[in-house]
Amino acid sequence: MTAPAIEVKGLTKRYGSAGHGVVALDDVSFSIPAGTVFGLLGPNGAGKTTLIKVLTGISDISAGDATVAGYDVRTQSMAVRSHIGWVAAEVILDDDFTARENLWLQAKLQSLPDWEPRADLLLKYFALYDRADDKVSQFSTGMRKKLEIALALLHQPDVIFMDEPTIGLDVGTRRMLWDIVTGVHREFGVTVLLTTHYIEEADALCDQIAIIDFGKVVAQGTPSELKARVHGDVIALETSRPIDVPRLTAIPGVQDVRPQGNEWMIRATTAEAVLPSLLAAVPAETVRRISIEKPSLETVFLELTGHRLGQDEPMRDIRKFYAQMRQVRK
Amino acid sequence: MRSQFSGLYLRELLRTFRNPFVLLITVVQPFMWLAFFGSSFANAPPSLVESFVGAKSYIAFLLPGTLSTSMLSVGMFGSMSTIQDKRFGFMKRILITPTSKGVIFLSKALGSATRGLVQFPIMVVAALVFGVSFQLSPVEWLAWVGALFCLAIGFSSLFLAITAPSTDWQTPGVVSNFITMPLMFASTALFNGAFFPSWMRAISAVNPITFSALLGRSFVLGTSVPWINLGYLAAFALALLGIGWIVAGRWLKVD
Repeated sequence: MTAPAIEVKGLTKRYGSAGHGVVALDDVSFSIPAGTVFGLLGPNGAGKTTLIKVLTGISDISAGDATVAGYDVRTQSMAVRSHIGWVAAEVILDDDFTARENLWLQAKLQSLPDWEPRADLLLKYFALYDRADDKVSQFSTGMRKKLEIALALLHQPDVIFMDEPTIGLDVGTRRMLWDIVTGVHREFGVTVLLTTHYIEEADALCDQIAIIDFGKVVAQGTPSELKARVHGDVIALETSRPIDVPRLTAIPGVQDVRPQGNEWMIRATTAEAVLPSLLAAVPAETVRRISIEKPSLETVFLELTGHRLGQDEPMRDIRKFYAQMRQVRK
Repeated sequence: MRSQFSGLYLRELLRTFRNPFVLLITVVQPFMWLAFFGSSFANAPPSLVESFVGAKSYIAFLLPGTLSTSMLSVGMFGSMSTIQDKRFGFMKRILITPTSKGVIFLSKALGSATRGLVQFPIMVVAALVFGVSFQLSPVEWLAWVGALFCLAIGFSSLFLAITAPSTDWQTPGVVSNFITMPLMFASTALFNGAFFPSWMRAISAVNPITFSALLGRSFVLGTSVPWINLGYLAAFALALLGIGWIVAGRWLKVD
């Protein structure tokens, strides 16, 4: 059995003094097999970027242990940094330099004497060879992202960290990045740890996923394993008045009813089977919105954390704001 | 370590010399100093100038002092470049490679000092235009450049050490304003120290700008050369390099 590419045991990162500070990572443990694409899925502020900072040696560890590419993050930080690549959420390049000069600088920082053949190979792989001597400030976002991945691959690392690699990109560029991540993993044989808050991204790219929320890993497994943890469908129901929870719970096939913001999350064995009884139990004029969700990573996240990933908090605030506005008008 | 240092040092230089605005200011500023400040005694009787500064030409007196004080500002630019790297994330890119914080500090300090020395030939040409003549031996030219280099290294290290934990654009400017005026005026860079009050003379006696200005002035005016000043400036540079190395290793952070 090969050694894991990344192993984390009881990792804790605390900002500020003990007792008064903020715990960004709380007793996190996981193991990433070499040669896999591992996703850390969680909302903004869950601790994903902090975990990357700690594993790359940018931040100190408050407690626990971590090894990357077989090296201890605490005591062999320089060795870790020689064996990892990093792709930032926001593209970080030297805009005063050309693509080739950016690769030259990366080679210098990684002490690579014979870097040019490898750089040419990467420039060709990412279709940047013809623009190698242009300043990167003239590059499109997609080209800049590709160059950043080329920088991360230049020294043939064992592990690449990709921190929200597709955040802020349009759909087309995001799809292109997905193809690149898959291709890079296949062609160059590196282990990829990527963080994301896009469920479809984690589902499409990752062999294994750890769901992280409030600094804790709440579940880990392959996308299929995680989806198998949710038994049944979720019916999201938004009403203008409180609902009769015991009546809904008594409907055959309904497993659970719980509030989530202005919505009710009704878990049912088969949504279509319970829907007629459900609609009969709720006054039609009070129903604002109803939707059915089949088992997905979204429903897994909801099941495990009790809240939705992504935009639910601001949306809830907007709904609250409009509700208050209506009250004022009355 | 050598590879990382040479990469980062060259980056500092390339970034500066590819910016036409920075180059223009680098060339124009020394001319302006000599033109505006140096011409303030243009119509004064020669006897007054000689009694005031101990030289027939105020520009010849001023040139070594101006060069010394301009080494103060190079430190500020070095620390601004560090803060820029932190704010735009490039420092993180550097730190996620096997590059020590000490090497980052060293490349910034030497990069600033080298950038500062670009002013030297421009300033000498400007002084020639304003009628100053130079009779220096090659060793004296070298010693003068060496003294200014030590001064620039010392001040760059000082600025980098003070601003190491900061990501605020304003910090280098505030620090510069705070230390530039006392160091410039409590030295013999611009005026003869003989007329200073005793407390300013005490500061001037240990101020490295004084040591550099007096050394350069002795070369330009052809008076007795205080070679010991070169040793003092080398010790100043080494001490601040050491302090900066330690401070950067401990406090240069992006988190």
